[in-house]
Amino acid sequence: MATEEFIGARTRRLDAPAKVTGAIKYAADMWMANMLHMQVLRSPHPYARIESLDVSEARALPGVECILTCDDVPGIDNFGVFIEDQPVLARGVVRYVGEGIAAVVAETADIAREAVKKIRVVYGMLEGVFDPADAMQEGAPQLHDFAPGNLCKHTKIRKGDVEAGFRDADLIVEEVYETSAVEHAYLEPEAGLAYLEPDGCVTVHSPSQNITHHRHLLAKILARPINKVRMIMSTVGGGFGGKEDMLYQGMLALGAIKTRRPVRYVFTREESIAASAKRHPFRIEYKMGLKRSGRIVATKMVMVADGGAYAMSTPGVMNKSAILGPGPYAIPNVWVDAIGVYTNNTPSGAFRAFGAFQSEFATESHLDLCAERLGMDPIQLRRVNLMQDGAVTHTRQQLDRVAATACLDAAVAAAAWDPGVPHRQRHGAPDRSDLAGPGTREPCTVGARFDNDVQARLKTIVIVADNEETI
Amino acid sequence: MKKRGRGIACGWYGIARTAAMDRAAVWVEIDDGGTLKVATGVTEIGEGVLTGLCQIAASETGVRPEDVVLADNDTARVPEAAHAGATRMTYMIGNAVALACREAFGKFTAAMGEYWGVSPTAIHARAGNVWVEGSVVKRMTMSHAVHVLKKERGIVIVGSGLFTSAHTSLAPDTGEATPWQSYVFGTQIAEVEVDTDTGEVQVLGVWAAHDVGRVINPQQVEGQIEGGVVMGVGHALMEAYSQTNGHTTTPSLAKYILPTALDVPHVTSILIDEPDPKTPLGVKGIGEPCLTPTAPAIVNAIYDAVGVRMTRLPATPERVLEALRLKRDVRPKEHQKVA
Repeated sequence: MATEEFIGARTRRLDAPAKVTGAIKYAADMWMANMLHMQVLRSPHPYARIESLDVSEARALPGVECILTCDDVPGIDNFGVFIEDQPVLARGVVRYVGEGIAAVVAETADIAREAVKKIRVVYGMLEGVFDPADAMQEGAPQLHDFAPGNLCKHTKIRKGDVEAGFRDADLIVEEVYETSAVEHAYLEPEAGLAYLEPDGCVTVHSPSQNITHHRHLLAKILARPINKVRMIMSTVGGGFGGKEDMLYQGMLALGAIKTRRPVRYVFTREESIAASAKRHPFRIEYKMGLKRSGRIVATKMVMVADGGAYAMSTPGVMNKSAILGPGPYAIPNVWVDAIGVYTNNTPSGAFRAFGAFQSEFATESHLDLCAERLGMDPIQLRRVNLMQDGAVTHTRQQLDRVAATACLDAAVAAAAWDPGVPHRQRHGAPDRSDLAGPGTREPCTVGARFDNDVQARLKTIVIVADNEETI
Repeated sequence: MKKRGRGIACGWYGIARTAAMDRAAVWVEIDDGGTLKVATGVTEIGEGVLTGLCQIAASETGVRPEDVVLADNDTARVPEAAHAGATRMTYMIGNAVALACREAFGKFTAAMGEYWGVSPTAIHARAGNVWVEGSVVKRMTMSHAVHVLKKERGIVIVGSGLFTSAHTSLAPDTGEATPWQSYVFGTQIAEVEVDTDTGEVQVLGVWAAHDVGRVINPQQVEGQIEGGVVMGVGHALMEAYSQTNGHTTTPSLAKYILPTALDVPHVTSILIDEPDPKTPLGVKGIGEPCLTPTAPAIVNAIYDAVGVRMTRLPATPERVLEALRLKRDVRPKEHQKVA
């Protein structure tokens, strides 16, 4: 047998030298002979009909090789991670600010940018909807034919009888939590390079987080056999979920096929922020019933999330937020609704911790609130409720080993936590004794200054200088 | 005035994909020069998993991590390994690499056992050398062994591995399901300082304990935890992509506020290194689980410090000041007592 001495070792990252020296090429660094450049006209309106689209003046600009619109898509023109609801380029209507309408392929990026400015679009403004609560109201603008009431996804968890649980509770605590939309802000904005292989295969290099699925989508969009579409995941400068949507690979492939030349497209930071998915903002209505002992007897979470104009990962995010939302606690009665809604905001999509960030934020905040109402140490409250070995989850999955309490114990020991009710000073208790100890840094203070050593040394230097009369 | 407080939050996370049966495939070849070729359909997004895969491959086949050549991320050249996300890379690809290497190494020990006239179980390999247990003469470099097998015996050692994670879809009415096979648990404690004059919150320390499974490379795991904590600090205190009637008011990094080096707390990572019994390698993951407890731990610490509960993220200085003002202005309500 082979040995395991490399497992558990702090092996230096094998890619570190190439990344530190810049030897690794990201998609935006790639270059091919005869390469063209792409720029995209994006919607300035959140919801509008495209009454007319005139690219003639732009096409006449010297150096412009082609201009792509939805009319250039040969196959089934839609993509999406869970629901394929988004066209490669807007088809008659734009549903969010930043949605791609036309893509210019030209000899230089500057020419392409000039040409984008010469595209004439006549918009017919539509009344948009920007709040998921409004979007669910009767009479609200309907964004997609297949989604009545703008409902994108409704995930339900039902376990036990929550109403009976609340009747059985000694304490019921209710609160509403809200989270913001968040930008991934990866170091590397989106970029890609597409070209035709000698055998006619179209190849797209991009920092796509899902080349397997993108290959499927692209073959369908291009109406090609799947072995004539090749996706290569270039070195990625951060993704965090934001590069799971096939936002531009379709345009690049179409550009390469149409011009029979390599085409590169590099987003600006502003373009990346406008066009790419965000973390779903959630509004979470929370109701929890507990016994005096701290035991949770019922949890009800009703969560509404703004999915924006296209589904992207909304169905999956709703699932994960619901499955994990009530937290790693053994709770007999659970009711969760996770409702993702279409609006004319920037689409929401995959983002590290995929809905669980939002739902678990609510649960962990709520437990602290409950601890205070119960006059308990928040760690003790969690200890009473944490899942143990053999626990049954909220989706009724039987677990075997559960290391939740081991994690709690380890963190409490490392931080030398001083137990007590949250904000104990309100209850007349003495202040915490565990503050400003090992494991904390000094706070930052306003302004620049030298530390004492440097000041002392500077003083010495100045004195020496004075003595030598050089100042 | 500056006030300090501490807060805690737990968390859990399912490992691998939720949407479908998760799967990852790998091909390997024990190659000339005692090197190892590993081909798989996905690459890393910066977390360091490729180094981890090389460590796994090396430990399974007796080469060194630097002897491994990775052929990755190409739908036309390597087998499917699905996507880069869902905390699935070490778990899915790591297990598939281990299985592929075990198949190849099984063939290697069988061939070398035949060559030396010993049982395959007597063959050992480590860090570029192969030998027969207890023998001083039956030993050679992996490079020489590959040469012998290819040139004298006509054998190329290849292997393949497939790892699949159990999954069932949610029942539409009840959500009943086994969405994932393995879960990662965690707890984080945060210490903050709140400036009651400006509403500013500084996170000074975070203690993070996570049940990450068998640890392949502690430095990479700590890196993930530190990155997750910093992202959590951003989400908790400053990050908000804002829109008015569908138009963003934070269109660039001049308006969209992110954490900087000065916002990074001291992070103490505690790795609960316990192999997952459900997989060949015992690994799990940490990419996403390390992010979920940070923001509530911070918000709970703010409450502990100054007695205001920030139910809306991010807890910006403006919102904290407003909450402090409301707390001062409104007569403290009698606490709701346990019935």
